[in-house]
Formats: sequence, C-alpha cells, structure tokens
Amino acid sequence: MKYRALAVLLGLLMVLAACGDDGAEETTTTTTAPTAAEGGTVRIGWGGAPSSLNPGLGELTEDYSIYELTYNTPITLDLDGNYVGELAEDWSVSDDGLTWTMHLVEGATFHDGTPLTSADVKYTLELYRDCADWCVYMSSYFDGDEVIEAPDPATVTIAKSVPTGSFEGRMVFMYILPKHIWEGVDPGTFDNAAMIGSGSFKLIEHRQGEYVRLAANEDYWEGAPVVDEVIFQTYENADARVQALINGDVDMITEFPATAIATLEANDNITVATGEPLAPDLTDIIFNVTDPANCPAEDGVCSGHPALRDRQVRLALAHATNKQQLIDTLLLGLGTPGIAIVPTGLGIWFNGTIEDYPFDLTEANRILDEAGYLDTNGDGVRECPAGMDCGDRAELSFRMNFPDDSDTGPRLAQTLADWWEQVGIGIQIQVLDPDTLTSVCCPSLDYDVILWGWGSDPDPGFLLSALTCAEIPTGLSESGYCNPAYDELFAAQAVETDLETRIGMIHEMQQILWEDVPYIIPYCALSSEAYRNDRFVGWLDTATKLALEDPSSLNVIRPAG
Amino acid sequence: MKALNRFRHSKMGMTGAIMLLLAVLVAVFAPLLAPYDPYAPSSPTIEDIYDSPSGAHLLGTDDGGEDVLSGLIYGSRVSLIVGFSAAFISVLIGGVIGLVAGFRGGHTGNLLMRFTDFFLVIPDLALQIVIVAILGQSLRNIIIVIGVLGWTTTARLVRAQTLTVRERKFVLRARAVGGSDFYILRRHVLPQVLPLMLANTVLVISLAILSESTLAFIGLGDPTLISWGQMLNFAFSRGAVSAGAWWALIPPGMAIVWVVLGTTLLGNALEEMLNPRLGRHHLEKEVPPKPEPGSPPDRPEVLLSIRDLKVSFEVGHAPLVAADGVSIDVHRGEAVGLVGESGCGKTTTMLAALRLLPPGGAIAGGQVWLDGRDLVALTPDELRPLRWRHFSMVFQGAMNALNPVKTVGWQIAEAIRQHDPQVSPDAADAEAGRLLETVGIGRDRAGDYPHEFSGGMRQRAMIALALACGPGLVVADEPTTALDVMIQAQIMDLLASLRAEMNMSLVLITHDLGVVAETCDRAVVMYGGVVVEQGTIAEVFRDPQHPYTRLLLAAFPDIDEPGRLLASIPGTPPRLDEMPPGCRFAPRCSQAFDRCHTERPPCYPLGPRRESACFLVERSPQEVGDG
Amino acid sequence: MTRGSLFLRKALWALVTILVVITFNFFLFRVLPGDPAKAGIKDPRLSPEMVANLQERYGLDKPVLFNTGEGGLFDSQYFRYLGALAHGDLGTSYAYKNQPVSSLLGSALVNTLWLVLPADILAIILGVLLGLVAAWRRGTKLDVGALMFALFTWALPTFFLGILLLFFGSHYLGLPTGGRVTIGLDQGFWATAGDVLRHLLLPTLTFALVLLGEYMLIMRSSVVEVFSEDYILTAKAKGLNTFQIIRRHAFRNAMLPLVTLIALNLGFTVSGAIQVETVFSWPGLGKLTVDAVAQRDYPLLQGAFLMLAISVVLANLAAELVYLRLDPRVTEA
Repeated sequence: MKYRALAVLLGLLMVLAACGDDGAEETTTTTTAPTAAEGGTVRIGWGGAPSSLNPGLGELTEDYSIYELTYNTPITLDLDGNYVGELAEDWSVSDDGLTWTMHLVEGATFHDGTPLTSADVKYTLELYRDCADWCVYMSSYFDGDEVIEAPDPATVTIAKSVPTGSFEGRMVFMYILPKHIWEGVDPGTFDNAAMIGSGSFKLIEHRQGEYVRLAANEDYWEGAPVVDEVIFQTYENADARVQALINGDVDMITEFPATAIATLEANDNITVATGEPLAPDLTDIIFNVTDPANCPAEDGVCSGHPALRDRQVRLALAHATNKQQLIDTLLLGLGTPGIAIVPTGLGIWFNGTIEDYPFDLTEANRILDEAGYLDTNGDGVRECPAGMDCGDRAELSFRMNFPDDSDTGPRLAQTLADWWEQVGIGIQIQVLDPDTLTSVCCPSLDYDVILWGWGSDPDPGFLLSALTCAEIPTGLSESGYCNPAYDELFAAQAVETDLETRIGMIHEMQQILWEDVPYIIPYCALSSEAYRNDRFVGWLDTATKLALEDPSSLNVIRPAG
Repeated sequence: MKALNRFRHSKMGMTGAIMLLLAVLVAVFAPLLAPYDPYAPSSPTIEDIYDSPSGAHLLGTDDGGEDVLSGLIYGSRVSLIVGFSAAFISVLIGGVIGLVAGFRGGHTGNLLMRFTDFFLVIPDLALQIVIVAILGQSLRNIIIVIGVLGWTTTARLVRAQTLTVRERKFVLRARAVGGSDFYILRRHVLPQVLPLMLANTVLVISLAILSESTLAFIGLGDPTLISWGQMLNFAFSRGAVSAGAWWALIPPGMAIVWVVLGTTLLGNALEEMLNPRLGRHHLEKEVPPKPEPGSPPDRPEVLLSIRDLKVSFEVGHAPLVAADGVSIDVHRGEAVGLVGESGCGKTTTMLAALRLLPPGGAIAGGQVWLDGRDLVALTPDELRPLRWRHFSMVFQGAMNALNPVKTVGWQIAEAIRQHDPQVSPDAADAEAGRLLETVGIGRDRAGDYPHEFSGGMRQRAMIALALACGPGLVVADEPTTALDVMIQAQIMDLLASLRAEMNMSLVLITHDLGVVAETCDRAVVMYGGVVVEQGTIAEVFRDPQHPYTRLLLAAFPDIDEPGRLLASIPGTPPRLDEMPPGCRFAPRCSQAFDRCHTERPPCYPLGPRRESACFLVERSPQEVGDG
Repeated sequence: MTRGSLFLRKALWALVTILVVITFNFFLFRVLPGDPAKAGIKDPRLSPEMVANLQERYGLDKPVLFNTGEGGLFDSQYFRYLGALAHGDLGTSYAYKNQPVSSLLGSALVNTLWLVLPADILAIILGVLLGLVAAWRRGTKLDVGALMFALFTWALPTFFLGILLLFFGSHYLGLPTGGRVTIGLDQGFWATAGDVLRHLLLPTLTFALVLLGEYMLIMRSSVVEVFSEDYILTAKAKGLNTFQIIRRHAFRNAMLPLVTLIALNLGFTVSGAIQVETVFSWPGLGKLTVDAVAQRDYPLLQGAFLMLAISVVLANLAAELVYLRLDPRVTEA
C-alpha cells in the first residue's frame, strides 16, 4: 500500500516536470499574441524590491526605478548624461541667477485623466521643500529659501535668495504628484497604493517583496509604450535570477554577478550589455583623518590612529593599492579606477586629467621610511616616530571595518590587508552590520579605516559636501576631513550658475582631494544587464549609461519576431 | 571492556568514528596537507577567478582566485573547532541544568524545566541572528551563540536520566547510609548519566557544525576566517552556480555532509549501544529451524512431546547453547512443574517450544510435537492459526505484557476474534468480560487500561487472556512471583479448577518448589540447560535421585521441620559460555567423582516417566546417600 | 489530577510563556547596538526634524520601562507596547514605510504556511513509512539503505540542498527558479493551480527532504523500541500477523515521540524556512525576519518573534492535547 502512494507521488512529479518544459513559453504566449509586433508582457528580474510607493519615503534604487516609470519629472537625465526636459519644455534662469522659470509641456495628464498643470508642480515642490520631518531625501534637494509660484497653468517660477549651480540636478528627482489627491491626505503616512502619476506606466498590482506589476499608460501624453505590461519580479538569489533568464522565466535581469557573464554570453538568445549605471556609484576606502580640534562636541569619539592624520601615511597606502587588480578580481574587469569622490560615471564633472598614483610597494615603503615610521622592534609592523604622540597606539595597526551586506567587502579587505601588511601596516579586519557601522563612523568617528561606498546623484554637489568641515558634526562627513580651501571652493560652486566655471571649480576640488588622500577610491563599478534577444527588441544598450529598466528602453521595446 | 567490544562490531559506529577521525586528522595536519596556504597574501589575476580544476588546482579556484582544496583543508579547522567548542558549551550548560533539575526535583527542578521549555520556544536561528548582531561577527561569538542556544536537548535528556537514577535502590541506600548529595552525584548518578551524555554530545556536535554553516551562509560568519560555511557563502553570493563553478560549491558542502554524517552515525551507534531496547526486536525475520525427520507420539494421551530440543543464542561470534537436548512429555490434563535456578534454561526451553524465542535465539535441533504436528517444522504462517487456540502462554512479569494504550477487555476480545472471526464484537466483549470474572476481576473493569490494574490483577488478566481461546496447553512462567501469598494461593487455585474444568494441560515454570508440590502432578528439574531429573511429585520430592534436586529440596523450608537449618548451594550456576565439559553440576556437587568432570551423564530411566541424569545412578540407587 | 484540569494547567502555562516571550523580545531589541531613532534609515541625511518626528511617532522619546516623569508611571515604551498589543496593533514597520506590521506578517505567514505545511505532511508520511519499514527490517540492507538516506538528507545543509535542487530542477526540468506564481497569468483555476504547484515543487521538496531524515530516524528508533516491548511478544503469541501487530499495537505507541517532534517542528518551521525561502525567493516569514534584523526594523521583528512564539506555544499545546488523547497513561506533567 505504501508503494502505491509513492508511485502516485512519482507520477505526479513526472507530470509536473513535463508541464514544466513548455510551461516557460506558455506563460508569455498566453498573455500576448504570438507574432504581433505590439503588446506583450515584459518580465524583469531584479534582486531587491521597492520599500515604499510614496516618493517622499522611497530610499532604494528599486523605489526610484518604479517612480521613474509611473511619474514624470520636470527635467530628466538621458542615457548620455545630458539633462533633457520632460515635463518642462524649456527652462531658464534670470540674469541675477536667483529666479528659475520652467515652461511646462501641453497635454500632460495624470492616470486618472486629470490634466497636469503648474498647480500640481507648485504643490509638489512645496511639499518636498517642507517635508524635512517625514521624507528621506526629497527635502535635501531644497535650500529652504525657494519661493515657488505658478503664474499660469503652464509656467512655474522658483525664486531663491542665493543662486544654485545644480538646478537641473535637483529637478530630476521632482516626481510631480497630483495635487487633487495628495492635498486630501497626510503625505507622511500616505501609502499611495494607487500610485496615480503621469508616467508612461500605471501601477496595477504590488506585492511587497514579490513583484510590481505595471501596465502601459495608453493615454500617455508622449505616446503610449509599445508593450502592454511590465512586471518586476524579485529574485534575491543571484543564481536563481540568472537561471530565470536562461530558462525564459524573465526577459531581462538588471543585475547579476560578473562571474555569470561567460555563461550568459554563451547563450545565443541572450545579450549582455555593460555600461555606466544611471546613478553611478563608487567604492571608497575612508581614512579617519579627524583633527582632534574638529571632533564633534556631542557625539564625537574620534579614536582614529594619529598616524592617519599624516598625509605621507595615506600617500604610501595609495601607492600600496593596486586598483586595476581589484577591478580585475572583484569585478572581473567591469569597473574603472576612481580618483576622488566624484565617480567616473558623472561625465563632465569627473576630472579625468589627474594621473593617479601608481601601484608601487617599494615606493610606499620608501615614503614611510622617509617619514620616520620604522619597524623598530622587528615584528613586521611599523611604529610612530619618536617625536609623534601616538598615545598607546605606537604600532601602526589599523582597524578595518566594512558592512556585512557587501558582497565584495571581505575580498576587498583581505586583498588590501595583504598589500598593506607588506608595507608594514597591521590590519585588523572587523565586519559590522550597516547600522553598527554607521554608529562607529559618523559623527562618532570611532574607527581607523572603513571600506564603504556611495551612490551618486547626477549632480556631484551632495557627495562633495561630505568632505566639508561643516558636515563633521552632522554625521555626513565620514572622514572628518577639514580643509578651508576646499570649503571655499565648495561654497563657490554651490551658487555658480555658469556651467564651465562650475566644472572648473569641481575639478579643482578633486585635485585637492586627490592630493590630500582622505579617501582612496579603488573603483567605480560598471553596470551589467542582460536580456533575451528573442523576446523583445529595441533595448537601448549602446549608450554611455545602461539602464534597461528606465523608461527610455521600456517605452520603445517591442516583441521580437 | 564489553561495551567497547560491542562498539567494534557496530559497522555504523565504526564508520562514523573513522569519518570523524579523518576530518580531525585533516584539520590537525592542514599545513602539511594543503598545497597552498590560503591565508598567505596572493596576487590573483582575472584568469584565476573560478578556474576549473587542473593540475595546479585539483579542485579549481574560488571567487577570489584561491585554491579550493587548500581552503577545504584549512576550513576543516574552523568548522570543527566551532562544532566541538559550541557542543562543549551546550553540553556543559545542559548537563548542569539537567543534573540539578533532576536531582533536586521539586520546585527548583520544575522551574528549571520551565526555563528550558521557554528556551525551546525561542527560535534558534532568529535568536542567533539577533545575538550575533549584538555581539559582532567573530569566531568566538559564533561559538558562544551556538553553544548557548543548543543546550536544551541535553538538559532534558540528563534530567530524565537523573530522575530515573535517583529513584533507584542503590541511590536510596546510599542516602540512607548518609552519603552527601555531592558524593551521590559523583559516585552513583554521574556514571549512569555520562554514557548517555556522550551519545548526546556527538549529536550536538553535528548540530553545531550545521549551525555554523547556516550562520555563515546567511552572512553572519567571520569572513576573515575560512570555514566550509564561509566557502559556501562566498560561492553562493558570488554566483558560483551561474558561472558553472560547481567546484566552489560542491566540495565544501560535501565536507559538511561528511562530518555531520560521521558524527550522526557515531552518535546513533552510541545510542543504540546504550539503549538495549534499540537492539533487536520481536518482529524481525527469523531464521527457520531445520526440521528433523520423525513421527508424532503414538499414544493419544501425550499432548506435548518435546524431543531433544536444542536452543542457541547469538552473542558476539559464537552461538551459546542455552538448552542442550531437552526432552519433556506432557499428557493431557497434566500439570508439570518445570523448576530450576534462574538461568537454567527452563523459560528458554518453553519459549522455544512455542516458537516464541526472542531475537537472537534459534532452535538448533529437536522436535516439538503438539496435537500431531511438529511445531519446529512449521512456517510462521502455518503456526499462526494454531497459536493461542492450541497453546498459550502467561509470560513472566506481566507488567508490560499488555498494551498500555488498549483496554484489557479489548485485548482479550482481540484474541477471541482472531481465531474465530465469526464471533461478533459484542459477543467477544461479553466473553472477555466473562473470562475476567472467572479470574476474579469484575467484568466492569474490562474497559480499563492495564496501568489502572494492580500487579496482581494484571497477572490474573494475563491468565484470562491465556484462556481466551480454550487452549489445550497453557505455559505459565513464574505466574506468582512478586505477588503476595494470598493472591498467590488464589491464582493457583484458579488454575487448578480451570484445569479440571477444561482438561487443560499446564506447564508451570517456577523456582518455587512449594507451589510445584501443591499444584503439579509432575516435576521436571533443569540445571545448566539440561534436564537433570523428572518424575511425579511424590517421586521427585520424596525420593530425589539427583544431587542437585536434593540440594534444592534442602534449601526450601518445610513446615514440618521448623527448626531445620536451610542449606544453601555453594557456588553459582555455570555461564553459558563457560560450560564445564562433563556433568554441568559437577563443580558444585559434593558427590562428584572423576568421571563426572569429563563425561556428560545421560538421562538414566529409573521407571516409567522417571529419570535422572547422574552417574550415581549407575551405582545402586540405594547407595546414593544424603547430600 | 484529572486530564481536563491537566490540560487547563498547560494552557495557562502557555499563556505565561507567551507573556514572558513578549517581554523578553521587547528588551532584547533594545539591547541591540545602533540608534532606534534612526528607525532603519541608513542615510546620514537624516535631518534633526526627521529624528524628532520619528521619535515622537514611534514613541521612542518615552522611557523604556517605567516613566518617572510626566505622563504617569505606565506611560513608557513597554507598557504602551503591551497596550497596543491588547488591541491587536503590532505597530508600523520602519523599513516598509508605514505599512502595518500585522498585514506584513499576515501575508508572509500565509506564504510560509503554503510552503511549510505540504512539506511537513509529505515528510511525515514518508518519514513514518520509511522509519517503519527500516525498523521492521532492522539490520537488513533495506534498513541500512533507508538509514543512510535519512542520515544523508539530515546532514545536508538546507540551503545547499536547495541550491542543488534549484539548479537541477530549473536546468533539466524547466521548473521556475523563484517566486510563488507566474505573475499576470490570469488563466482560470486549473492553469493557476498548476502554476502554483510548479513554483511550490522545488522549495517544498527541499524542505520535505530536510525534515524527512529527522522524522525517519526518530520513527525508526521509536518503532524498534516499541517492537521490543513485551506486549508485542504477547500479540505475536496470540497469533496476530505482522501487519495486524503493527497496525493495532505498535503504531500508536511508536508515533508518540514523533507527535512531540512534529509539533515542535511545526511551530519552528514558521521561522525555520529561512534558508529555503532565501534560496527560492519565497516571500515568507523567514526571509522577512532575516531582512528585518538587517534593517533593524524593531516593530516588525517584535511582531515576527511574537508570532513565532505563539505558534510554537500553540503547536506544543496541540501536541500535548494529542498526546493526552493517544496515551491513556498520562496523568501528570
């Protein structure tokens, strides 16, 4: 009797397996006409999931990917890194640089049919400006002095008391909300489940942590997308994600380990694309260079090793870091070496003229020897020179921390430790969870070396601010770096409306940072995405930036065949 | 030691031990075995990442370009250290808590057990994650976390065992003599508890190793140390499967399986060793005995004819003979008392005759004729319809002979319906009730469970059960031991009257000569696995021929001789594996001479159904003096 | 003590345990490093206004245990929490902005149950059968084979087995590699059912195999123990055949230890599916819990632990009830 049960079970298994083989194809054909050049459901696999449908509360990349599709912003970034108008046909600044005027396009409507007017823009901008007590990022795009007016339904003016050099960079995040819906709710707790926006896609279904289902906005004012639906499905497991693409369970995946590229490229039905990410990121090695005089009064611990305040030590370590090898082994070559806190992917803002320190262990050792850090007791680790007060930390032994949610962290730490130990620096690696890492980093500045990273806005202003003196007590400054010359330039570029001048200033700031080495930027990773070329065609995969989940691609792709 | 010997024969245990030992050796000699030092600085290039197995790297390279084989070898150190250390902590905590809870009992014990239960309610993994987040990720913390959360099973086990031991007589005696708690713990309790803890520790180790790998997989391990779990974590988070780099994934996984499997095999084997109940059982397939040619007894009054029955037991290598050629006849309606010291083979002989030998026992020769059929020659399927209807047995120590989760009435009715399927359930229940009445238990108790009966009642219920199908032969094994004299008398009277009513034959196995004298017609005396004397009660009791019988009788009090000094028989019965070559009783016999020590005396017939196996018979019977 | 009052006593203890667990959880999370006022937001751009608002919103500005200041002795985080619990309010999640914890847990729980219950049932049936057969044929090749199988699957780390099954299942059988359903498949009942089954197959199989080994081992040793009891000999002597003996006499007794284990497992599998859920992207409680720890989402964590404790306690209670029913000997704790 028991054998019969087992046999039935086995039979069931085989039946299901048989269904499985053609099931993959079945799922797409059931929802789309097989050979039409229109319609279709695009399935995209990614590794995370949005945390909130409320643009004021979103903080993850996935949140922003969805906002990009369901909302419009006045200005947007194209795949070559240029600012182009979306809701704003054109924009200009007054001669005194204090008033910005945007002229809105005609015919833009929200998903519920309501026309989008300057009233909505004014409402939204004011909302974001004043939301410091509940929103995560949005209010940081405002200085607080903005006075927003809507003189007519197609014009918006923003008057400031101080000019800004990053107007466009702020506008790209201003997802315009429908005033008639939002003014009736408490924005801070509004879950925005319906997600009424003006974008090319509408939200039809959202399951937390599982999927987001979007349908094409047939009445999109710029012309409806070709496909019918876009579904983002969460596969936390990278291998599962890759396998899903190979099997055809999804049509495109937005991230996968570099080690899978060979397997994917070997598959004729799959195309792998590489490019700069839409929001470039950088990986950094942060040194605690806090001068005790700048230590925050309230929460500062400032326990950084005194030797790290010596530029020579940092310079030596820069020579002891082989950025290209890190790119090769950690990213399988898919990255570019960094210079300072402006990622290479920021195009014009990145100072490409600086020639980086070469990897040279001999030179590193020489610098340290000359600076007086010698290994007097023969234990392989250098000590502070006689005249320097290193307290009870005479040995040049540094704590190295990194967050436990980083895939490359452990390998990076070990490799750096290998090199730096060869120049007589002792390293104690300690992995911390992100929350604890934040608490030891800033503003307590209770560490020696941290391996972390930043994701960047299109405008470099925010990242540059992390190295100003003023941000030490706020906790934004990770390194405790304080240089009045740098601060001066920072203040100047913030209000510089002439592009070329501002670029020059920012390049100079990078030069300063590169010389002072409060950070070593090993690399800026490139982004890799892959898609099934037998399902949908028209993906924009040859531009400078790669973001196949961006409206730029999703609006234009059409079924293959 | 006997235990170690048994262990060596356990294939499971030896396999596990070897597997574990190999892993430990690899860990200890890692620097010698590993082709590369994974902790040494290295400069990998792109080509080194996930390189497939080759001459330079027998198991390929991992995501960091490091040699997988070396990582595997060095990884054993961390995995094993965590496993053993954490297990040590768990067992220490659990052992102490269990000991205190079991030994103290009362409120302290209860409170500790509540605490243990509470701990069980907390989810291990989730709590481990939280605590590691508090303490930080380091090897030491992982060990602490796994250790501190894994003690509950040990505590429960130790407590249960301590409780049992605490109630044992030798502990109570030690207390009575004034032993301190600590002394009792150390001297009496611990030796009983430690073996179980050993088996448990091995299993805790396997759990700890699995825990370490799980924690590392979730990313909570110490990423600067190489462990198998960490290797899996890297492979998993750095896309080994997608890269087709199975060599980065399979070896560490298999290594974990190897060690965990080894420890589990070992632990299981140890448990089996320590718990005799985990050995063989009653439902195992038995080896059928070889039937011998022969014919049934020609006289109709002979109900049971055991002829030259030999029974052997498997213990280790060589089988031991427990009954060496026993021949007994039982006539219809007759009551035969089978007597002898414990271990003389009387129970074994009857169990064998009824084909109810425990696992490990086998009939090595002989025939058992009952109702015209040789039971030895029958297959189990042929035997089944005969069971209980033609012969039944009342087992020794009826405490557990009844199923505790079924009512007594049901169990009797079951026997009835088994052999007469036509009987309706109600009729069977009624009959069961009637049987219970017959043995002096009210029929309203038929719906009670065995544990609700007293010892004497259970014994009587067993008798009722044995009679359920009206068998021609009932074998009762020590039916009155541990019962008080009044009940004893009742039961024996009962048996006598039932015998008379139903013309039932009875074989009464006992070492109580008094009972035999009162209730039986004949007596069969056994010693060392052979029959030494048999005859009618009058013959055996009044004129014993065998020196052993005489000594037995002398050791029993006689109400007619109140002042007589009771003799004791010097020496002990022979062990099955140390049988003397000649007469089994010779070493203890005061009348033994040379021939007795070298030759086995045959059973000399002294009359109709009267015999004695002693060389003294060869001399004139009258010369046999008093013992 | 009657069995009714015995059960009542156990039920009472269950309640006490739950209360203790609630308190334990509450203070455990307050011990974690990191600032709860950050409420899971890792971005240093947290303005002071935001901090103040969050603190007020989540009641983090109140003292933890007893309030010696204004507002009354019990106007503290702990008692406010208890009060909210009494109303069934588990608070709002930090990480999943503004979403009530109860709904997050609710949907995750349903998903986990979908995974865990079929797996457990499968494992129980197979484990019991295998254990029975192995014990019956103890010492033979069948026993050794079954034992090896069970020990092997037990020794396999769950996630490892999962990855292997994921790879082979998706590569060779075309089974999906993650998720609960194929989204957007509005095809009618049978197609949907088939789709769900296809997604459920690999994770359920993984989980079942992991549990199977343990059940089989326990069942086997339990059955061997029972088979060596005296009453089995009695049954044999009565002339019952093996099948009858097993069915009527051995099975129930042998199942008793397994009942306790099954109940414990059921309680734990609510969280114990962490590994399977991670590998197969199954949106269940396990994954939710792990993510919540990483994000320091205290309300969600507290809710998850509470739910877990309740389910374990309830499962234990159910096991005790079943035990009481099965074993007439039980008269005291």
